Amino acid sequence: LIAFGSSISGAEAYRRYAQPGIRLAAEPDSQVLAFAAVEPVGRTYNLILEAAATRNDLEALVLVHPHTEIVDPGFCAKVREALADTEVGVVGCAGARGAQSIAWWEAEVVCGRVRQRYEEYGGGEIESLSWARRQAPPAEVEVVDGQLLVLSPWIVRNVRFDETLLLGHGFDVDFSLQVRNAGRTLMVADLHVAHHRSLELINDVEVWVEAHIRMADKWNGTLREEPADEPGWKRRARRAEARREAARAIAMSESLKLDARVLELERELEQNTSTVSWRLTAPLRALNRVRRKLTGHGEDE
Amino acid sequence: LGFCEAFTLVRDAAKALIMIAFGSSITEPDVYRQCAEIGIKRAMEPDSEIRPMPSVGSIFRSYNALLDEFAGREGLEALVLVHQDAEIVDPDFCAIVRRALAEPKVGLVGCVGAIGVRSIAWWEASVTCASFINRYDEHGGGDLPSFSWAWNDAPAYARVGEVETLDGFVLVLSPRVVDNVRFDESLGQFHGYDLDFCLQVRDGGLKVMTADFRAIHYRQLEMVPDPEQWIDAHVKVAEKWDGRFGIGAGPGSWRDRALRAEADTEAALMLAHMNSLESDARVLELKRALAETTESISWRMTAPLRWLSRSAPKRRRPELTPRSLITNADGP
Repeated sequence: LIAFGSSISGAEAYRRYAQPGIRLAAEPDSQVLAFAAVEPVGRTYNLILEAAATRNDLEALVLVHPHTEIVDPGFCAKVREALADTEVGVVGCAGARGAQSIAWWEAEVVCGRVRQRYEEYGGGEIESLSWARRQAPPAEVEVVDGQLLVLSPWIVRNVRFDETLLLGHGFDVDFSLQVRNAGRTLMVADLHVAHHRSLELINDVEVWVEAHIRMADKWNGTLREEPADEPGWKRRARRAEARREAARAIAMSESLKLDARVLELERELEQNTSTVSWRLTAPLRALNRVRRKLTGHGEDE
Repeated sequence: LGFCEAFTLVRDAAKALIMIAFGSSITEPDVYRQCAEIGIKRAMEPDSEIRPMPSVGSIFRSYNALLDEFAGREGLEALVLVHQDAEIVDPDFCAIVRRALAEPKVGLVGCVGAIGVRSIAWWEASVTCASFINRYDEHGGGDLPSFSWAWNDAPAYARVGEVETLDGFVLVLSPRVVDNVRFDESLGQFHGYDLDFCLQVRDGGLKVMTADFRAIHYRQLEMVPDPEQWIDAHVKVAEKWDGRFGIGAGPGSWRDRALRAEADTEAALMLAHMNSLESDARVLELKRALAETTESISWRMTAPLRWLSRSAPKRRRPELTPRSLITNADGP
């Protein structure tokens, strides 16, 4: 039996995205463990793990974020194939090797056909982690993306999410490191998934920074080698502060460049739409909009 | 350095101070001709000496060569170091500089400065004056006026006065600084030269000030095209001053600082990714709208009109610089 679980913080999101995906992927005997979210996310996930662990016939537990939609009809077959190796503890749709922090996407990313669907600016779809150089799955990784986690029965019965991580961010990295500490491996498989989410990757930067620091505190020496003495920490701090300000300057430059690109197109659009010919034909377009609305067609004038 | 006191003695020779000189270190002569030279000619006085000098290596070394040329020069009132891609826009620049240097303790003057500075990324500190335009060529070009370019529209924190550092793209040096301070060539090729120089001037007991002149900086939008060099310079300057004047200082233990900075770095990168995604989505939306204009039947029907319009004599391209602001009489 392959079970599906979700920590539902937004009932509407689950109904619109996760639920149709689970229905597409599930088999007739699949069990769905949909639990109302209890903060932090690790606590709800542990409740789901406890419930799934009671099933003797469990083949895998799939934890699905409410905004994640599985769009892969062959999902269960791929899960079975990935978990055929008994050393594999966790399978995901994206992950990384060489991660040094909760920002695993800054490391060596492995990602299959994962799309991000957004609603801003008229809506659209892009490749998830589009900024990263991505390697195709299948591949072993050190960390998997928490948007979709497939756990082996052994993991369901032996590893738990850290409920002291109250800030939420990085729970997936923490869980991945625990899995590796327990002697199991992590894989990214070619699981087709769509994330329905805003283009705003994060809306609480300060909290994210604190979570990053706490995770570094917890796993220092594992995620990154720890300096041996105070001068070593000083050197690391000096370089880190320099990198931070370089990153901020680069981010500002990028933002200016992007603004300039948008401005260029806005100028072009304004030029096109401020012409006499465009203004002359405005009534024609208005009529066509009404016609399209009435007929429900979106064709050209 | 203590050169401030020593120079108080020679202030009696003020009658000999008559000439404001201009110097540039040039790696691209065309850029100098199109930017710095135009501004210098606008700002100079009949007796001003102009020294456009081909670069002799790093900006530290090139500027030191210029300083060596003018050091001890009788009659030097000030030396203005202008980046080849910077254009001074005030015709009364020399009068403004003279007013700023009238106070004997003033060693350096610029039009962009900040206080509370802790590193070569002085723009992360509290910027008090930024009277410049960043003019870029990318994506059809444009101007980014900084907050005190137009004083009548400047925020409450905008002011001229004493600062901790200046942006080095236009630097006005008093004669005592020309004679006694040198750029530290051990710091690298370019980055951090201005902050370190300002710190040396302040260490010598002189003041660093902003003044009410304006300039255009013709530069690409990329602020750090060579991140590794920039990072090295940041570390070197932090180590050199090691907490003096607040440079390289910060709260917490070294471990705390390292972990926080590493987190902040990745937060900055994430924000950059976010901006990029948002911009891509906006670009896509605009391209859809543009396609709608150019693929519509009405657009195709009116193609002859646009052809006629293109065949007509060209209108003058709108000027980028808000010249009206340049001649505005407003002030801080």
